[in-house]
Amino acid sequence: MEPIIDAHNLVKVYNEKGIPVYAVNGVHLHIEKGEFVALVGPSGSGKTTVLNMIGGLDKPGKGYVRIAGVNISEMSADKLIQFRLRNIGFVFQSYNLIPVLTAKENIEFVMLLQKQKAEEREKRALELLAQVGISDKADMRPSELSGGQQQRVAVARALASKPRFVLADEPTANLDSVSASNLLDIMEKLNREEEVTFIFSTHDQRVIDRAHRVITLQDGKVVSDTKRT
Amino acid sequence: MATLLKIAWRNIWRHKVRSRLIVFSVAFGIWAGLFMQGYVNGMAEGRIRIAIQNELSHLQIHHPAFKKDMEPVFVIHDASGIRTFIEKSPAIKAVTLRHVAKGMVASPVATAGIKINGIIPGQEVNVTAIRDKIIDGDFFPGKSRNEMLMGEKLSRKLKVKTGDKVVITLVDRENNITSGAFRVKGLYRTSNAPYDESNVFVDESTLYPLTTGTPEYNEIAILLKDNKDLAGFASTLKKQYPGLLVESWRELAPELDLTISTVRQSMVIFMGIIMLALAFGIINTMLMAVLERTRELGMLMALGMTKGRIFLMIFYETILLVFTGTPFGVLAGAMTVYYFNVHGIGLSRWKDVYESFGYSDVVRTSVNKEDYWVIIILVVITALVSSLFPARKAVRLNPAEAIRK
Repeated sequence: MEPIIDAHNLVKVYNEKGIPVYAVNGVHLHIEKGEFVALVGPSGSGKTTVLNMIGGLDKPGKGYVRIAGVNISEMSADKLIQFRLRNIGFVFQSYNLIPVLTAKENIEFVMLLQKQKAEEREKRALELLAQVGISDKADMRPSELSGGQQQRVAVARALASKPRFVLADEPTANLDSVSASNLLDIMEKLNREEEVTFIFSTHDQRVIDRAHRVITLQDGKVVSDTKRT
Repeated sequence: MATLLKIAWRNIWRHKVRSRLIVFSVAFGIWAGLFMQGYVNGMAEGRIRIAIQNELSHLQIHHPAFKKDMEPVFVIHDASGIRTFIEKSPAIKAVTLRHVAKGMVASPVATAGIKINGIIPGQEVNVTAIRDKIIDGDFFPGKSRNEMLMGEKLSRKLKVKTGDKVVITLVDRENNITSGAFRVKGLYRTSNAPYDESNVFVDESTLYPLTTGTPEYNEIAILLKDNKDLAGFASTLKKQYPGLLVESWRELAPELDLTISTVRQSMVIFMGIIMLALAFGIINTMLMAVLERTRELGMLMALGMTKGRIFLMIFYETILLVFTGTPFGVLAGAMTVYYFNVHGIGLSRWKDVYESFGYSDVVRTSVNKEDYWVIIILVVITALVSSLFPARKAVRLNPAEAIRK
C-alpha cells in the first residue's frame, strides 16, 4: 500500500549565494495512514522546514514530496493552496486562530473555503467542538479562551476539512502541563478512534513520550526513526 | 463573500482608534471637498448674480456695429417695438431701453474715461439693482435737469460729492465734440469696483440731445425670470431679429466665464491634494494592518485561503473604512454648505480685494447634486486605488515565512 506521505531525498538550502546553510539535507520519510509521529530534534535541526515541505508551504530545493501518490513539489502555488485545503490540516505553535471569529466560526471557516453548505458546516463544527471537549465555548472568540482551549479549537479546525493528515508544529510549546496533556489525550483519541494521522514537530519530552513513532533530526538529517508499540 | 465581509468588518475594529482616525480622515476629506466646492460655486454664482443684476442683465441687444466704438449713429431702429415684443414673452422679468455713449467726465480736479448709461429710470429699476446700491443722495429725484448717478469710486477719483457739478464730453452723430454739465445727485456702490469707476447713469432724455439729437436707443437690456431660459430665448431673439446683435451675459463678458472656469479648475487641483492626502493615510493605515497581521495572513494562506480571497479581504477592509466615513462626510458637508448658504460667509475684512475683482464680500456656499457625486466617486476611487498596494503586499507573503513572524 502506498504511504500517505512519501518524502524523498529532501534538501533545503538557505543563503545559496553566500555561505550555504543546509536546513534539510537528504531526508527520506514514509508515513502510513493512522500513524502518530513526532519529529524531534534540537532547534535548527530542520523539523519545521521538513514539516513545511510536507505541508506544501515550502518547496524542497531537491527531492520531492508525494501525498497519496501526488507529487506536490511540482505544483504551482495556486494548486498547492487548493491541495492543502482538501488534504492537509494544520495546528500551529501559537494557536493562530482567526481572532475576529468565534470558536465555531473558526472551525467552519475551512469548510467555508471548501464551499460546504451552511448546515453541514455548522453540524460538523459542533461535532468537532464536542470531540475536543469545548462545546460550551462555541460562541467565544479566541481572546476569551485559554491557551489550551485555543489549541483544541485549532485541532478541531485542522480536522474540519477531513484531511488526509494533520501537521502540528510544536503544538504544546505554549501550554502548561495540564493543557498539554489534555491536548495530547484528544489527539491520541482521534488517532486511535478515527485513524487520524498526526505528524508533529516537538522538542517537548511529554509529547515525545506519547508518540508512536519518533523521527529524530539533527543538522537537517534523520539520525533515528523509532517505532513504539 | 458574506463571511469575508464579516471578517473584514470585524478586522477593521480590532484597532478602534486607528480605524476611527481613518473614518474621520475620509469624512474630513469629503467635508473639506464639499465645503471648498460650495465656496467656489458660491463665489462664482455670486459673481454671476452681481454681473447680471448690476451690470449686464441676462441678454443685451445692439446694432452689430455699435460695440466697436459705441458710436451714436448705430442705434436700434424701432427699439420700443422690439421691447413690446420681448415683454410679451413669459420668460421675461423686465426689459429696458438705454442710450449709451462713451465719453469723458471732468471735475475741477480730474478727468476720467467713462461709459455714460442713458437710462429710463422707471424701466431701469426693474432690470438692474442700481437704485438699491445708492449710498448717498437719491436715484433721479427729478428736481433738476441733467441729474447724474456716479460710482463712489469714481467720485473719489474726481474728488466730487453729491450736489457737485461735473462736465461730460462726448461725440455726436457727426463726430463733433459736445459736452454737457451734470449735477451728481447720487453715489452708488456695487460689489464691482472697476465697474463703479467707469460707469455713470443719466436720464436718457438728457443724454440724446448731446449725441443723436433725437430720442433713439442703442441698447436693450433684458432680465429673465430664470437663467435656464437664456439659451432658448436668445435663440428666439436671434431668429426674430437677424440684423441685430443678441448677446448673453457669457458673450458680453467672456472674461467672467473664463475667470469662473479658472477658479473651478483650481478646485480640481485642491481636490487632488485632498485625495492624495487621503490616499497616503489609507495606504499607511492598511499597510500597518497588513504588516501587523503577517502571521495571521500566513496562517490563512496555509489553511487554504486563496490569494484572491486575501486580496479581497484587505480590499473590503479599505472599502468598509471609506464607506463608514463617507456618510458622515457627506452629511457634515451638506449641513455646512446649507448653513453658509443661509447665513453666508462674511469676508468684509477683504472687502476691497474681493470688490476690486467684482466679487461680493459675502459668499453663499452652494453645491449641486453633480458635485456631491463627483466628490463621492473621487473618494471611492481613491480608496480603491489606495487599497491595491496593501492588498498586493498581503498576497505576496510567503505562508511558511509569514507564519514564523
